[in-house]
Amino acid sequence: MMILCMVFGPFICGIIAYMIGRKNENFRDVFVIGVTGAELVLALLLFRQLPSFSIPDILAGGLTFTMDGFRSVYAVVTAVMWAGTTLFSKEYFKEERENLNRYWFFVIVTLGATEGVMLSGDLMTAFVFFEILSFTSFTWVIHEETPGAVRAGYTYLFIAVIGGLVLFMGLALLQFSAGTLSFADLREAVSRSEKPEMIFAAGVCILFGFGCKAGMFPVHVWLPKAHPVAPSPASALLSGILTKVGIYGILMTSLYALLTHETFGLLVLVLGVITMALGAVLALFSVNLKRTLACSSMSQIGFILTGVGMMILLSAKGSGEGAGIARSGLMLHMTNHSLIKLTLFMAAGVVVMNLHTLNLDDIRGWGRNKLFLKISFALGALGISGVPLFNGYISKTLLHEGIVEGIHECHAYSGLLSVIEWIFLASGGLTFAYMLKLFICIFVERNKDAARQARYDGDRHCMNAASTAAVFGSSILMVVLGQPYVSTRLAFLMTGFEEILHFKAFTWENLKGGLISLGIGALVYVFIVRRVLVREDSYVNLWPEKLDLEELVYRPLLTKYLPAVFGFVAEMFGENKILRPLCRFGLALATVLVRILEITLDGTILLLRKTILREKKVKGAESAHPGLLRTLSIELSGAAEPITSNFTFALMMTCIGIVIILCTIIAVIF
Amino acid sequence: MSPIFLLIPVLLPVIGGFSLVFLRIPEEDDRRRNIYLESVTVLTSILVWIALFAVRKERVEIYSFTRGFSIDVGLDGLGCLFAGMVSLMWPLVMLYAFDYMQEEKGKNKFFTFYLMTYGVALGIAFSSNMTTLYAFYEMLTLVTIPLVSFYKDHDSMFAGRKYAAYTIGGAGLGFFAMVITTVYGNAGNFIFGGSLNRGLSSTMLQVVFVVGFFGFGAKAAIFPLYDWLPSASVAPTPVTALLHAVAVVNAGVFAVTRLTWYIYGPELLLGTTAQAVTILTAVFTLVFSAAMALKERHFKRRLAYSTVSNLSYMLFGVLLMTPEGFTGGMLHMLFHGIIKMSLFLCAGAFMHRTGNAYIYEINGVGRKMPVTFIFYTLGGLSLAGVPLFCGFISKWNLVMAGIEADTPWGLTGVAGLIISAFLCAMYTLSVSVRAFFPMQETDRYLERTDVREAGPLMLVPIIVFGIANVVLGIHPQPVVEFIRRIAAGGF
Repeated sequence: MMILCMVFGPFICGIIAYMIGRKNENFRDVFVIGVTGAELVLALLLFRQLPSFSIPDILAGGLTFTMDGFRSVYAVVTAVMWAGTTLFSKEYFKEERENLNRYWFFVIVTLGATEGVMLSGDLMTAFVFFEILSFTSFTWVIHEETPGAVRAGYTYLFIAVIGGLVLFMGLALLQFSAGTLSFADLREAVSRSEKPEMIFAAGVCILFGFGCKAGMFPVHVWLPKAHPVAPSPASALLSGILTKVGIYGILMTSLYALLTHETFGLLVLVLGVITMALGAVLALFSVNLKRTLACSSMSQIGFILTGVGMMILLSAKGSGEGAGIARSGLMLHMTNHSLIKLTLFMAAGVVVMNLHTLNLDDIRGWGRNKLFLKISFALGALGISGVPLFNGYISKTLLHEGIVEGIHECHAYSGLLSVIEWIFLASGGLTFAYMLKLFICIFVERNKDAARQARYDGDRHCMNAASTAAVFGSSILMVVLGQPYVSTRLAFLMTGFEEILHFKAFTWENLKGGLISLGIGALVYVFIVRRVLVREDSYVNLWPEKLDLEELVYRPLLTKYLPAVFGFVAEMFGENKILRPLCRFGLALATVLVRILEITLDGTILLLRKTILREKKVKGAESAHPGLLRTLSIELSGAAEPITSNFTFALMMTCIGIVIILCTIIAVIF
Repeated sequence: MSPIFLLIPVLLPVIGGFSLVFLRIPEEDDRRRNIYLESVTVLTSILVWIALFAVRKERVEIYSFTRGFSIDVGLDGLGCLFAGMVSLMWPLVMLYAFDYMQEEKGKNKFFTFYLMTYGVALGIAFSSNMTTLYAFYEMLTLVTIPLVSFYKDHDSMFAGRKYAAYTIGGAGLGFFAMVITTVYGNAGNFIFGGSLNRGLSSTMLQVVFVVGFFGFGAKAAIFPLYDWLPSASVAPTPVTALLHAVAVVNAGVFAVTRLTWYIYGPELLLGTTAQAVTILTAVFTLVFSAAMALKERHFKRRLAYSTVSNLSYMLFGVLLMTPEGFTGGMLHMLFHGIIKMSLFLCAGAFMHRTGNAYIYEINGVGRKMPVTFIFYTLGGLSLAGVPLFCGFISKWNLVMAGIEADTPWGLTGVAGLIISAFLCAMYTLSVSVRAFFPMQETDRYLERTDVREAGPLMLVPIIVFGIANVVLGIHPQPVVEFIRRIAAGGF
C-alpha cells in the first residue's frame, strides 16, 4: 500500500496543489514542500522493505513494482532531488509568479511518475511512467513561454515522441520474442528464446528510446537547448533525474535481457564514448552557465553509458569481477551525478534569480564574496571533476578500473579499449577544465566592467535561509559520498557485489588515473581556455554556430526533406492527383474508342451506300412524262411488288436458299 | 426474446425522425424538439441494451426476396460491439448537437435525418447476412447525404455529391461481392470463420474479395477512395463527429470485417495475394493519410485525415486474419471512436465559439477555453498511443498482432503504424502546444473577451468521452476480454 502512496500519491497531490494554488499561493508553496518531504520520508521508510507488489488487470499487462537495493537508493535520491529543488523554488520563483500553478501541478505529477519508473518491476510499468513524465516535463521546458523556450520545447517534444514510439516498438518486439517483460523472468525467458536477433533488435529500439531521455548521442540535441531555458530547479531535475530515468531503462534492459550480448555491449560503449567526448568538448566551448552544465550532464551520461557498455562486454567474456566493478562504478556515478547536478544547477539558479542572465561575461566576478555559494559550487565542481576525497573520484576510478579490466579480458578489443581509456581520461580532464573555467569566472576573477564589479561586491546577500539550506546541504553530500567507506557500502547496497567492499580507492594505481585526468584538465585550462577561448578579456564561443546536429540535420530533415518526400507522395496520390487524372484518362480513352468505332461505322455505312446499298434513283423523278415502255415497266414492277415484298415469297426464297446450301453440302460430303 | 425484437430499435428512430416532419414543431421551439429527440434517442438506446442482453443469439428471416436473398436480422458478438458503441454515443452527441445547431436554420430537417441515421446504423449492426447488410449500407448513404450538404453552399453541395459518388460507386462494387457470396455461399449468412463453400475457383474468389474490399472500403475511406471524407468535414460538427468519425466510417470497417471474417474466413484468405493486396493498401493509406493530416491546416480536415489513417489501422488488424489482429482492429474501432469523438467535439466547440477554423488561428485559445483544450490534449495523447489512455491499448494489441503474424506485411504494417503514430503525435500535439503556449506576438485571443468556454451541453459530452478515454485506458480488461471472446468465435 505504501508503495502505491509513493507512486500515485503525488498524482493526487498535484491536483490538490493546483486547487489550493487557485485560492492561496503561499499555502500551495508550503503544501508542495510538505508533499516532497513526505515522499522523502516514505522513500526512507520503505527502504528495501518491499520485495514486490503488483496490480494486475490494468493497462496492457498490469503494473508491478519492486524495491531492491538499487531501486531503493534511487527512490531516495529522487525524493531528495525533489525536496531540495522544491525548497529552493520558493525563493527562485519569488518574482516570476506567472503560471506557477501549472508548473507545480506538473512538477508534483512528474515526481510520482519518476518514482513509478524507478520502482518498476517490469518494462511495461517503466514505459507507462516514462511516457507520463516525458509529457509532463515538457511543460517545464516551455514554462517561460519565450520564443526560445517554445522552440526548445518543440525539440524536446519531438525527441520525446520519437523516443516513446521507438521504445514502444522495442517493447513489442521483446514481448513477442521473450514472452514477458517482467524483470524477474526476463533473463530466463531470453536465454530460452528462439529469436536472438529479434531480441537484439528489441534491445536497439529500447536503447534508442531510453537514450532519447538520457541524452545519448545522436539524440542528445534537446539537452543543451532545454536546460538553459527551463527554470533552474527544473533544470536540476531534468539533468539530475530525468536523464537517469533514461539510463535506468537502458541499464535494466542490459542487465536482464542483453547482459551477455557482445554486439549490444559494443554499441552502447561506442555511443557512450561519443556522448562523453562530445559533451565535454561542447561544455568547454560554451559561454552560457547553464548550457555548460547541460553539456556537462551529457558528458557524464556518456561516462555512465561507457560503464554500461563495459559491464556488458565483461559479462559476455565471463568476467564476473570486472562486470561487477563496472556495474558498481556506473551505479555510483549515477547517484553522484544526480546529487552533483542538484547542487550545481541550484547554484546556477541563485545566479539567475539575482542577475537574470547566464552569460559568463556578465556574471563574472559576481560570486567573489558569496561564501556559501562559493563553497557549494566548489564542492560540486570538485566532485564532478573527480578530485580525490570527493564523490566523483571513486565512481570514475571504478569506471576506469572497468575499462582496464576490459583491456586485460577482451583481447579482441584491447586496441579499441586502450583508445577508449585515453578518451575517458581526456574527457575527465575536460570536465576539470570547464568546471575550473566556470569557478574562476564566477568566483575568482573580477568583472571587466569595474562599476558592475563594485555593485556585485557591495551586495553580499544572494539567497535566503531555505535556499542556503538546500544548496549548501546538498553540496555536503559530495564530501560524505567522497569517503570510500561510505561509497563502497552504497555501491554494495546497489549492486550486491561483495568484492566492492574491499576496494581500495587510494592505491597508487587508482590515484594515477585520476591524477592524469586532472593534469590533462589543468593543461587544457591553461593552454586552451586561457589562451584560445578568452579573447580580449572576454569569454568567446568559438564553436561554429552552424555545427549543430539539430540545425544541420534533424530540423532540415523534419522540416524540409521529409515534408518534401511526403509532400511529393501527397501531391502524387493526394487530392486525387491520381484518381482524378485516371478518371479523366479513362474518359478520354473511352471517347477516343467510341470515336473510332463511330468513324468506322460511318465509313462502313458510307462504303456500303456507295457500293452494294446504292440508293436506287427514283425512277419517276427522271421525267414527269415517261414514255410508253417505261410506263409499262413501272406498271409491271408495281404489279410484282406485292409478290416480292410478300413474306411468304421471302420465306420461299429462303427455303430455296437453304435447299441449295444443303444440296451443296450433301454434294461435297458424298 | 426473439430476434424480431431487434426491429424495434431499428425502426423507432427511423419512424421517430420521419414523424418530426408531421409534428409541425415550429423552427424556433428548441425546447419541445430537443425533449422529443432526446427521449426517442434515449429510449432507443435503452431498447438496444435490453436487446443486447435479452435477445437470443440466432437469426430470423424477416422477408425473402427470392431464394437466398432475404432480409435477416440477428445478434452476434460483433453486432453487439457495434450496436453497443453506437447506442452509447448517440444520446451524448445529440446533446452536443442541440447546442451546436442552436443558431442554424432548418433544424427540423437536420434532426429528421440525424435521428433516422441512428436507426440505420443499428440496422447495420443487427443485419445477419450480406443482403441485409448491403441494404442498410446503401440506406446509410442515402440518409446521410442531406446531412453532409446541410449548409447548401457551394462547398457543401460539392461535398455531398462527392460523398454520394464515392460511396454509391463503392456500394456498386460491394453489390457484386454481395451477389457472388450469396449465390456461392451459405446464402451470405454471417458465420464466424467463414461461410463460403468453394463453388468458385480460388482466383475468382480472391478477385471477388478484393472488389468487395474496395467496395465496402469506400466508406472506410480506403485509398484511393478516401477523398470524400476530408471534403465532408464541411458538414456541421455533430455530423462530422458522429458520422464521419464513428458511425458511417465504422460501418465501412464493420462491413469489411463481416466480409473478411464472417464470409471468407482466414482459411480461404490467409497468405493469398488478395490478403497481400488489401493489407498493403491499408498500410499505405495509414501512413499516407497521416502525412496528409500533418500537411493540412484546416482543423476539421486535419482530423478527418487522421480518421482516414486510423480506419486503416482497423482494416490492417482485421486483414491480418489472426484472432489477435481481429482483437486489435475491433478494439481500435471502439477506442478510436471514443477518442476521435472527443477530438471532433473539441474542434467543433472551438469553431463554434470563435468562428475560426484553421490551425494557425488556434494560437492561445487554450487560455480562454481551458477545459475544451485539456480534453483535446488528452484525446491527442491517446491517439498518439501514450499509455494511460485507451489509444495505447489498441495500438499495443495491433502492434503485437502485427509482429506475431510473422509475415512480411505484418512487419511492414507495424513499421507503418509506428511512423504514422509519430506523425499523429505531431499533428495532434502541435495543436495543443499552439493552444496553450502561443508565441507571444501571435497570441490573438489575449484581448478578445467574447471568446469563452463552451456551454454545458457541449462540455458534457466532451468530458464524458474524455473520462471514458482515461478509464478505458487504465482498466481496459473487460472490453479486451469481450473482444477476445468474439475473436475466439465465442459468440
